Amino acid sequence: MSQLEVAAGSPPETDVLLSLNDIRRDYVLGEAKVEALKGVSLRIHRGEFVAVWGPSGSGKSSLMNILGLVDAPTSGDVSLEGTPISKLSDNALSDLRSQKVGFVFQSFNLIPVLSALENVQVPLQIQGVGAAEARARARQALKDVGLENQAHALPDKMSGGQRQRVAIARALVTAPAIVVADEPTANLDSENSYMVVKLMRELNRAKRVTFIFTTHDPRLLDLVDRKLLLKDGLLQSDEAVR
Amino acid sequence: MNYFSIGFRNILKNRRRSLVTLLSVGIGFASISLFAGYIQYVYGGLAKQAIHGELLGHLTVMKRGLRTEGRLHPAKYMFTKEELDRITPILRQYPHTRLVTPRMSLSGMVSNGTASTVFVGEGMVPEDVKKLQGGFERKLSGDLKADNPIGVATAQDLGRILNLKPGDSAALLVSTVTGQANALDVDIVDDFNTGNVGTNDKFLYLPFDLAKSLYDFDGAERLIVLLDDKAFTEEARTQLTAQLQQAGFDVELKTWLELSSFYAQVKRLFDMIFAFIFSNVFIVVVMSIVNAMSMTVVERTREIGTLRAMGLRRSGILRLFTTEAFMLVVLGCAGGLLVTLLVRFAVNSAGITYTPPNSSNVVSLMVDLDLPRMARTFVMLSLLGVGAAWFPARAAARKLVIDSLGHT
Repeated sequence: MSQLEVAAGSPPETDVLLSLNDIRRDYVLGEAKVEALKGVSLRIHRGEFVAVWGPSGSGKSSLMNILGLVDAPTSGDVSLEGTPISKLSDNALSDLRSQKVGFVFQSFNLIPVLSALENVQVPLQIQGVGAAEARARARQALKDVGLENQAHALPDKMSGGQRQRVAIARALVTAPAIVVADEPTANLDSENSYMVVKLMRELNRAKRVTFIFTTHDPRLLDLVDRKLLLKDGLLQSDEAVR
Repeated sequence: MNYFSIGFRNILKNRRRSLVTLLSVGIGFASISLFAGYIQYVYGGLAKQAIHGELLGHLTVMKRGLRTEGRLHPAKYMFTKEELDRITPILRQYPHTRLVTPRMSLSGMVSNGTASTVFVGEGMVPEDVKKLQGGFERKLSGDLKADNPIGVATAQDLGRILNLKPGDSAALLVSTVTGQANALDVDIVDDFNTGNVGTNDKFLYLPFDLAKSLYDFDGAERLIVLLDDKAFTEEARTQLTAQLQQAGFDVELKTWLELSSFYAQVKRLFDMIFAFIFSNVFIVVVMSIVNAMSMTVVERTREIGTLRAMGLRRSGILRLFTTEAFMLVVLGCAGGLLVTLLVRFAVNSAGITYTPPNSSNVVSLMVDLDLPRMARTFVMLSLLGVGAAWFPARAAARKLVIDSLGHT
């Protein structure tokens, strides 16, 4: 079995948030063609807490980029809330990301000249939310991740764990449909890694936000609802954990 | 997005690079502003010199063809007394006219009794000379005496050639309007410096009535019109030309700008020097901004990817970096303005003097504020600064988001 489309005990079809159908992604490196994804089909449902795992080079990041709408597949269809995205213009895609997708990056990717509070406000400012409302919502988001006391700290004055919590607050502040996190714990020690994923899990439950993240750490797989094993660009298993 | 806040903080973050760029913009702006201020002062001084020093007034009214055919057929191109009586009221009724005065130019020989040399003379009404001079400080024209009908003023080098000083007597020999020789004794009542080595050994001013006697013609060659302000010159020319033509006079009105060839030559020269300096400074400043913004964009490629992933459109990325470049120009120009004001104060207070080329007068080195040119410089620097950021930002914004995110 090369593709597993529906995990055991999965939610009903009406709850499908993201749908990938026979996704292929090729890269050209010099004169060589690299097939990062070789035909992946899967559905992500609302409120799921999903981990994608597998060895390096298995195509995890390529899959996350397509799930996060920052990259387009070489072939195959992607739909978000039933809307095919392949025909969308760059501006429409940007607006869709702004409204529906939150990102947590491996290297946090906070804007270094902005404080934690200002960083969390950025996605709201992109949406055009007013300054007072953006500030209030950013404060609440920081409170949700336990960093209300670090609101005015600059990123370089914070620990890696704190920075990633700010990044999580930033990803959640717009109340997106899905948060995509590519290796969010790769730059953290094991204790902070566990805490960050635990926090994501708590927020997933509290806010009913869908999370999908990649990891190498098997301990973290115990915290998820569903784990997808990717190997050589193919989905090897799609397993409900609890 | 708070583009100004992000831009300002990034300028502060990259202190050294920002400082170099700000210095480049500031010094460039100050250089252009100071040179523009200097040449504006020179233009102002030259305009005053032409209008009040050389007694050109603002407008000269003459019969059409005087300047080309006047020497061959003088009587044909002179205003008769009757014509002057009809033209003068038309010129005076223009609301900004302060003075209308007749003129007669003639040339001939001046002699001290033992030696003689050529002179170029200008006959003018003694009472009107003071009015034409106005508040002009430097003495480029002689003071004629209303109570001495044969009192003339000589240019200083002309006086030196013939050893003539105020108080001495001389004889003038000229051709009349019909070509006869005519000579009269005159008194030297004043001397003056024309400010130009080419004319300071030839010029001589004499009373208008004396010029008429020497020329044996009861009329005038030209009429000089002095206005309230040189800003009305073109308007006055247009209106008065129309009115005079309506009254049946085939005349031409020349402005002081057209008649002062020295002003036009100096202005052309300075304008060319300004254009040369401006383009050089501009290239340096723009290259500095291009360099700074290109480095900034490259360094912040991952930030661009992050913002694009969060939904910022390509236009937002362009706005982010062009805003930062605009702020660099604004801050640099603000610093440049401060430098301009300080240097201007220092130069104007120092009392520096120099002798310009082809001049026999010492003049002060002063710097004005040429606000329109400074404003144009700021606008051009802003546009080019924004353009300098736009190109690298556009290239970065057009990259695939995943490529920007993966940038190290």
